[in-house]
Amino acid sequence: MISVKNIVKTYGKKDSLFKALSNVSFSIPEGSTVAIVGKSGSGKSTLMHIMSGLDHPDSGAVMIGDQELHKLKGRKMDKFRSTEMSFIFQAFFVEANQTCYQNVSLPLEIAEEGQRKIRIEDALGQVGLKDKIDAKAGNLSGGQKQRLAIARAIVNKPKLIFADEPTGNLDSSTGEMIIKLLFKLNRLNKNTLIVVTHDNELADRCQYRITLKDGKVVHFAENKKVSK
Amino acid sequence: MKIFDVSQRSARNLKQAKARTLLTAMAIGVGAFALTMTLAASNGAQSYVNRLISNNFDPTELLVAKDETIFGRGDNNKPQEYDASFGSISSASGAPIQVKQVTEQDVNKILKYPLVEQVREGVILNVQYVTRPGQKKYIANIQDYSPARNPEILAGSIPKPINNTSLLLPEAYVSALGFKDPQSAIGKELTIAIRKSLSSQIVETGTAPRNLQDAEVIGDKSTVLVPFKVVAVLKSEPAQPGTELSLQISTQAAKNLNDIATAGTSQYRQYTRVNVKVKDGEDKANLLKVQEQLSKDGFVSQSVEETQQFLTQIINVLKTIVVAFGLIAIIASVFGVVNTMYISVIQRTREIGLMKALGMRRKDVSRLFRFEAAWIGFLGGAIGSGLAVVLGTLLNPWITNKLDFGTQKLLIFKANQIAILIVLLVLVAIFAGLLPARKAAKLDPIEALRTE
Ligand SMILES: Nc1ncnc2c1ncn2[C@@H]1O[C@H](COP(=O)(O)OP(=O)(O)OP(=O)(O)O)[C@@H](O)[C@H]1O
Ligand SMILES: [Mg+2]
Repeated sequence: MISVKNIVKTYGKKDSLFKALSNVSFSIPEGSTVAIVGKSGSGKSTLMHIMSGLDHPDSGAVMIGDQELHKLKGRKMDKFRSTEMSFIFQAFFVEANQTCYQNVSLPLEIAEEGQRKIRIEDALGQVGLKDKIDAKAGNLSGGQKQRLAIARAIVNKPKLIFADEPTGNLDSSTGEMIIKLLFKLNRLNKNTLIVVTHDNELADRCQYRITLKDGKVVHFAENKKVSK
Repeated sequence: MKIFDVSQRSARNLKQAKARTLLTAMAIGVGAFALTMTLAASNGAQSYVNRLISNNFDPTELLVAKDETIFGRGDNNKPQEYDASFGSISSASGAPIQVKQVTEQDVNKILKYPLVEQVREGVILNVQYVTRPGQKKYIANIQDYSPARNPEILAGSIPKPINNTSLLLPEAYVSALGFKDPQSAIGKELTIAIRKSLSSQIVETGTAPRNLQDAEVIGDKSTVLVPFKVVAVLKSEPAQPGTELSLQISTQAAKNLNDIATAGTSQYRQYTRVNVKVKDGEDKANLLKVQEQLSKDGFVSQSVEETQQFLTQIINVLKTIVVAFGLIAIIASVFGVVNTMYISVIQRTREIGLMKALGMRRKDVSRLFRFEAAWIGFLGGAIGSGLAVVLGTLLNPWITNKLDFGTQKLLIFKANQIAILIVLLVLVAIFAGLLPARKAAKLDPIEALRTE
């Protein structure tokens, strides 16, 4: 179970105090797919940053299994993130000057894990980029770049994958392909997928939909139609 | 993150910014070049001094004089009380100065010291001329041959001990005296002419000359001709300055000639300096004991080591000046490294954010940039030192020739020195990279990932 309990996050000081998240709570089972939706500025990215331990809440807790995330400090937090989580961003954030191999290698290097060649080849194979292994990431198309970012996100076999607007920079057919890939990999690798999105079509395919408005959860829905 | 992976990533980053990396490294390279050259030149100078010393001095001997001026320490600007032991020598600037000299009694006194094995009087004497049958006369000076001297021999050999009729001839006299090559001078007889002092002439003739012509006639009659046999021809050695035109003979023979020239004068059997050989003088304690005793008896002495230190001191002063300039260049290059590293951090803000989001430790992020700085330092050091070695090696023969250093190389490159220099430059570069690396390590991943 991944539980978010009474998260409050404010920005600014006294006079210009701004509540980005107020009393956000929900629970989702591990291995599920979750969409966080809402208007721009509603607090989606802030929530994702707190759930991934990149940011600290003013109060409240995030439980990942038995682990209270923000109780982890320093080295332990880094270790947890490097082995249990990964990210996919709207703007890909792949290193254009490095090869696909080197890009995918990064999480393994950070987590100090071995058997890199096999694992990198496997991850690139899963996103259909095996033949581009030695190509410079800068020479890939937008869709290929995002597939490369997905390979980088799955190479470590993390429990949790956060994706912030993964299709935002792609045309609809390429976006569609990326979405299909994300769900296929979720079924295959049994990781939890948390997607921040404006895209209703994407949100409809997730098992859970969390709607934020002005930092509050205004709607929490389980989509029974989506098969596990 | 493993150190190997960190260093690989930083090397890759540098390769992506080749021009910037190289330019920054070049600034360090200038300092490395200057320092490598300085080190090489001072190695050369040091080895020159060492060779000069070991080819001319016996480390078990002490140089002993009565007057501090001989060792360049005395104060001869004040009037000194007269005594009979004063004699005249030339100062470094050529002016005649009066110094106290070592007398025969002094020599006998020193010989009685328990730790003294032998006293060798240092004789340098201008003779009237040197010649051989059928050849012109040439001026010459005579020096006693020190067994510690190790000159380069062109022909013949130096017998040990050298006997009293043997003579070592400098290369320059070979053709002057009509020999076709050094080898053909060996075994030939030379005549050295020496004029008795005026007072001994008066004693022998029983009359004092009444006018100048008179004196000249008597003087010519009292010229003594002494035969010597050439046993070796010496290459004129720049490592033994002042000996280029000196005919060297045994100490005893030199003393005999000196006696002839000075008999009846105040200079008779007086020496500006003597060489005192110490028993088991390899042991520094023995040298010190003798030096103590000498100073108690009013002598001044200098060991070979002290002579060497004196010369080395001069080299060190010069070295310090050039090293200072090299260091200034390196300090200037530090700012270049800081600047380059800051640019690198700013350019890679997003990448740093991603790495931190993926759980890369702060210290590894910082290490990534310190490695980058280290690479720049290494590159600069290797380029600068490498260029210095290549250029130095190519120019060495030419410089050596220009400076008339003989077989001595002016620039001596030592691998271990260069290695240490490069390591130091790497450390300097890492130091310069500390602040930018800290900035990178402290980046907030959320902020960093927001920048587009
Ligand atoms: N560091 C910050 N300082 C001040 N305010 C912030 C900061 N980060 C976020 N906010 C504010 O918090 C609110 C929520 O921001 P957040 O980025 O979570 O929105 P979002 O739902 O992801 O929007 P979008 O769809 O445009 O990405 C916004 O009003 C934003 O201005
Ligand atoms: Mg957002």
